[in-house]
Amino acid sequence: MTDTGSEQPQPDTVKDIDITDGKAKLRKWLNVNFRIEMTDGRVLIGVFLCTDRDANVILGACSEYLKSSGGETEEPRVLGLVMVPGRHIVSIQIDDTNPPQKFYYDE
Amino acid sequence: MGDNDDYDDGTMDLLSVSPEVTYNWVDITSDFFKYIQDLQLGELLHDGHLFGLFEAMSAIEMMDPKMDAGMMCNRGNPKPLNFQQAVAAGKLKIDDLEPSELIGIIDATMACIVSWLEGHSLAQTVFTNLYLHQPHLIINKTLKAYCIAVYKLLDCIRDCINKAQVFEEEDFQPMGYGYRLGSNPQSGNTYDASLEVSEQRCIAMLREQEEELNKKARSGEDEANSLWSALAARIRFTRMFYQALLLITKRDSQSGADCVALLNGCSEMMKVIIKTAGKGTQPIENSDSPNPMGFEPMINQRLLPPTFPRYTRIKPRLEALQYFDEQVTRLRHAWKITSCTNFHTALDFFMEFSRQRACILSRSALQLLYLSPSPASTASLAQSGPPRPHHALLEILRDSVKNFVNPPALTPKSPVVSTPQTREFVENFLARCVRPFAVLLQVCGHNRARQRDKFALLLDEFATLQDEAESVDAVVSGAAGSGPRAYFGTWLLYHVLRVMIAYLLSGLELELYSVHEYHYIFWYLYEFLYGWLVSALGRAETLANEGTRRSDAKRGGTRKQKKRSRPYAREGLMCQVMQNMCGGYYKALVAFKLQGKIRQPQSEFDNEAVRYKHRFAPLSVLTPPQVHYHEFCEMTQPLQYENPVILYLGGCKHFQQARSLLETITTPDQEITDLLKVAKTNFVVLKLLAGGHKRDSTTPPEFDFSVHRHFPIIKLV
Repeated sequence: MTDTGSEQPQPDTVKDIDITDGKAKLRKWLNVNFRIEMTDGRVLIGVFLCTDRDANVILGACSEYLKSSGGETEEPRVLGLVMVPGRHIVSIQIDDTNPPQKFYYDE
Repeated sequence: MGDNDDYDDGTMDLLSVSPEVTYNWVDITSDFFKYIQDLQLGELLHDGHLFGLFEAMSAIEMMDPKMDAGMMCNRGNPKPLNFQQAVAAGKLKIDDLEPSELIGIIDATMACIVSWLEGHSLAQTVFTNLYLHQPHLIINKTLKAYCIAVYKLLDCIRDCINKAQVFEEEDFQPMGYGYRLGSNPQSGNTYDASLEVSEQRCIAMLREQEEELNKKARSGEDEANSLWSALAARIRFTRMFYQALLLITKRDSQSGADCVALLNGCSEMMKVIIKTAGKGTQPIENSDSPNPMGFEPMINQRLLPPTFPRYTRIKPRLEALQYFDEQVTRLRHAWKITSCTNFHTALDFFMEFSRQRACILSRSALQLLYLSPSPASTASLAQSGPPRPHHALLEILRDSVKNFVNPPALTPKSPVVSTPQTREFVENFLARCVRPFAVLLQVCGHNRARQRDKFALLLDEFATLQDEAESVDAVVSGAAGSGPRAYFGTWLLYHVLRVMIAYLLSGLELELYSVHEYHYIFWYLYEFLYGWLVSALGRAETLANEGTRRSDAKRGGTRKQKKRSRPYAREGLMCQVMQNMCGGYYKALVAFKLQGKIRQPQSEFDNEAVRYKHRFAPLSVLTPPQVHYHEFCEMTQPLQYENPVILYLGGCKHFQQARSLLETITTPDQEITDLLKVAKTNFVVLKLLAGGHKRDSTTPPEFDFSVHRHFPIIKLV
């Protein structure tokens, strides 16, 4: 697997700038809270840590919420580090609270 | 979260709740899916400093049925109802239950308990029973008493297993998931300490129900009264089983006869229960629920930790009842340890018990029955400080040494003990023996697969002890002015050898060795360990007899010289049998190798010296000295040029010898019969081979361990 973690964008051609543009935007979202709804209706809230071309997303410090039926909010189940396969993602929301809360995944 | 957060619906949240956070969610789904197209196939986008591929690998995969425990909650099933909801919806009767319904609930609960005892979590087994969530809200008195008793029983079982400390994660899950075992304070959603039920009260409640049910059984019609008495048997079993376990677990005020009577009663009741199993409501076919009413397999799914892998299937009801029946038999057998008076027979009993691969509860019970509170706690106490004088195990060990070698240092009124220095030496040594020997008993209680590594660790501890035994022997012999006598050394050596043999043999039982390794394993056992064990036993007998003569002489000694007693005759004989068996295998294996019948590893991947060293590494204690690989090579060199026919004949002779030794035993048990069968068969096979049968075939022979776990039948294919 190629690892672009520490690579710098290389604006050689116009095409390359386009490519890095998508990556740069994704990179801006790293360590920000995501809210992902899965195909079975569960909602996961966790820190966005990693993704790939198939939209497999890794969330850190993740909690699972069951879709609330009848307005009652249910206890979350704490999951920790999870990987959500892209094909099971229905929607992704980002936490746009100001100032943006960043959650670092520290040792 | 209410104020009663820990006991909400009888459940508990496992981790603290995150502080109040407000989010402002903005949908980015389409942007996200657009941007990721800019990534290459297989390329990861991540913060390289903080998160890498390594961390990614430890994430649990959502929607994977094996990893995602939460997935099961969403299989389109409606949310499981809790106790109150189920009662409100009319799906859970708390009063006016038919006896068949009660029998069904009880039998299903027993199946759940068995599943728990086989290593599953409480949350996925016993506590799928909704009645157990709110026992005090049940109106039916029989069911209420039963449910309260189940709490008590579970607590007692857990206590017993925890005390014995002979379980590993694959044996038993002690987690309670917030259900308060032992007490059942939930009533509604609040904790009510006044509902606490004492042991005595619980037993009395069950007894009351028993009488009530028996009355009903007598008064009703034929069909009905058999149902009532079937129910009475279940309540009676629960009470007696609980009482018996209480006696085993809290061994202070025990009266042995009581416990035996209770367990015998349990066996009686189990017969009735099994016979009447069909009278209860039965689980619906293809349903995961062990009973149509009262069980909700998914009710605790949200309590499970994130990586909890399995969805538990409850053991089928009839098998579970059978299990209970056998368990009671095993407990009755374990009780017999209380009549083992000396350490020697007790250790044999422990090893024999372990061979039968007993369940975790009976293995634990055996530990508690032998030593109070348990060998495990004795071992940890001995580690924190020297055991107090007259410590139970210390006295047992003292007797063991006395019986085994009868050293003058342990003979009362012997001149040797009168010097305070030697006395102190001997006492210190015995005190230091407490821990390793307690651990030895504990190891024998573990499951078979776990014993091997623990034996290896134990040998380390024994090695330091051997050092000490040697100096004690020197001091004692010096004080007595006699020639050097290895009293304590011999006693310890005997146990060290037994542990070594158990260690090597366990590799055969656990199928750890490849066939091309067998020859040096059997060689080591044949050439050294069993031989040393025989001579250790012989030396012990000589020393013990010397001791007896010594005391006889002092008492006037005019009596006729007593016949030398040979208490270890049978054990010595068995050692010789094993030694011959191992010799037979060893010679056969070398011959197989010479004839190219055994697949050898490719030479570039092979290093026999390394494998040999690894296999025998734990045997490097003080005495006996470890036999190293170069010694192995030197000693076995001549055999490499031997004619295979001679070797087969040699092996033949060994099996023949083992057989005739076995046949001298007048009261053969299962073990002897099995060994006899193996020896006879292998004798014939080797004879055929010596006669040239399949000489040119390179098909490897098969080693069939189905008759005996250590000694295989050789099969030619």
